[in-house]
Amino acid sequence: MSAAIETTDEPVAPPRPGVLARLLRDPGAAICLLLVVLLIAAAVFAPLLAPTDPYDNDLSLAMQPPGSEGLPLGADAQGRNLITRLLFGLRVSLLMGFAAVLVGGGIGATLGFLAAFYQRWLDGPIMRLMDMLLSFPAILVGLAIAAIFGPGILSVVIALSVATVPLMARIVRGSALVVMRLDYIEAARATGMTDARLIFRHLAPNCLSAIFVFATLRFGQVILLGSALSFLGLGAQPPIPELGAMASEGRNFLFFAPHIAVIPCVVIFVIVLAFNVLGDALRDALDPRLRF
Amino acid sequence: MARRRTRWRRNNVLRHALHRLLLAIPVMFGVVLIGFLLMQVVPTDPAIVRAGPAATPDVIAAIRADLGLDQPLTVQFGLYVWRLLHGDLGTSIINNVPVVQELGATIGPTLELMVASLFWSIPLGILLGTLAGYWRGSLLDRAIMALSVAGVSVPVFFIGLMLIWFVGFQWQLLPFTGRAGPIWTWDGIQSLILPAVSLGGVFIGPVARMTRTAVLDVLSADHVRTARAKGLTERLVVTRHALRNALVPVVTLIGLQIGFLLGGAVVTETVFSWPGVGRLAVGAILSSDFPMAQGTIIVLSLGFIIVNLAVDVLYAALDPRVRGA
Repeated sequence: MSAAIETTDEPVAPPRPGVLARLLRDPGAAICLLLVVLLIAAAVFAPLLAPTDPYDNDLSLAMQPPGSEGLPLGADAQGRNLITRLLFGLRVSLLMGFAAVLVGGGIGATLGFLAAFYQRWLDGPIMRLMDMLLSFPAILVGLAIAAIFGPGILSVVIALSVATVPLMARIVRGSALVVMRLDYIEAARATGMTDARLIFRHLAPNCLSAIFVFATLRFGQVILLGSALSFLGLGAQPPIPELGAMASEGRNFLFFAPHIAVIPCVVIFVIVLAFNVLGDALRDALDPRLRF
Repeated sequence: MARRRTRWRRNNVLRHALHRLLLAIPVMFGVVLIGFLLMQVVPTDPAIVRAGPAATPDVIAAIRADLGLDQPLTVQFGLYVWRLLHGDLGTSIINNVPVVQELGATIGPTLELMVASLFWSIPLGILLGTLAGYWRGSLLDRAIMALSVAGVSVPVFFIGLMLIWFVGFQWQLLPFTGRAGPIWTWDGIQSLILPAVSLGGVFIGPVARMTRTAVLDVLSADHVRTARAKGLTERLVVTRHALRNALVPVVTLIGLQIGFLLGGAVVTETVFSWPGVGRLAVGAILSSDFPMAQGTIIVLSLGFIIVNLAVDVLYAALDPRVRGA
């Protein structure tokens, strides 16, 4: 049994202790990891960190520039404290991205495992379906779902999940097919294990690094897409603080108070950049042979 | 013998094209079906909308019969496909203009925007990618790759808003709202510059990255080593032997990025009030103009599928390995 476990190291390296150390050796990745941790912490503790309520408005403060008294990042057109809006906006945006990667990635990974494990009957149908889904760009999925369910956060999460499913399914299937060819799976099967146990105990853990790397990279893309849909007015509706929607609101006041639009844009850029760099570094640290 | 071989090759490309086309048919059918179902789930009754607020129930019933809405769903779907094949996508609820007419007016500007952004971003991306790949590991390579990661991480509306703020508003160099005229007029070109720069800006990163990978692959290939061993100048080796072969995968990958470009175009059109299909679609969804939303989404999807199909077939025709296989 122990010999069987050792061979799993060969084709797809599972996360070993020391991944973090290897990741931190790259200064860019270390900074991005720190940024991601800080951004997530800021989002989680937004109610504690924010000086005011995100919906509190004081029209006498409307469009105050950054650095005004009590308003480190200024105020928006309705006189709401921008730092508060930003903290809560971060929360909504990150949560939207997280939900989409979790739901879409979860369904995609399950389909990928099923396609690889039951290659004879499920691979063809599942992957043809995934090919069909892949032939729709994410933006069209977003438009269609917003047209059906109406604009809103839920529509964006559904659209982003749908757009993530086929990508994750492909990656998991590819990774699982490599593992399926290994002797230890055959050995485990010979011990009379059930299929479910085989998948969960032996197949899935060895595909985790591929799943994890892709999920990290996908998170950045999903945030970017989600903010674009919200910017178009198809996602979070005002007055909900969401980064893309905030940028869209600020667009109307670009010439009088550019900070209202620019600050949320910069935050979106930083989040996506951090996740992209981190995803690349994570891939190199976990398994440089993974290439998507 | 030679002729027979050529015919065989052409057959392979043809067979490949046919295969892809057969795969695309269910997808297209799916698009049309989804478009049809879209109209079934929306809360508005097209007959009531068309009849107007003062219509009597008799008039509504007559319109319903006229539109085929009293038929079973399968018959309605058949009617819908029939109308679609005849270029009838319905009429806008908001301004009573046929959807086809609006689409016809907006497709041109969208294509104009896409082509203009590819026109400058693809050559620049290929140049940057080649430089980065050739001087792999150098400071230049790192700078270009950092730029490319930043490029894929920046929201397209951020670039657009910055261009509007600086170039359009502060420096007053170029117009930034709407399309001032057709592409062949000076005004038309001027108003196209900022949208095309924004949209192309997010496209350079992926192109540079793909080119770099392809160049790296090719530079280590045997035929490049042979070319070097022959004593060819470095410039000839790179341009004639490396880049030319690296471009085949790059062309395909660019084709696969059309969806990404389309997403960027929808946002860019909104930022610059560019009268394209993307802006039309978003406006239709926001104003609950269901026939218009349905029509734009169907046409955009079908267009996307056709472009993908064309790229795929073109790739097969370009690549001697696929062609001869």
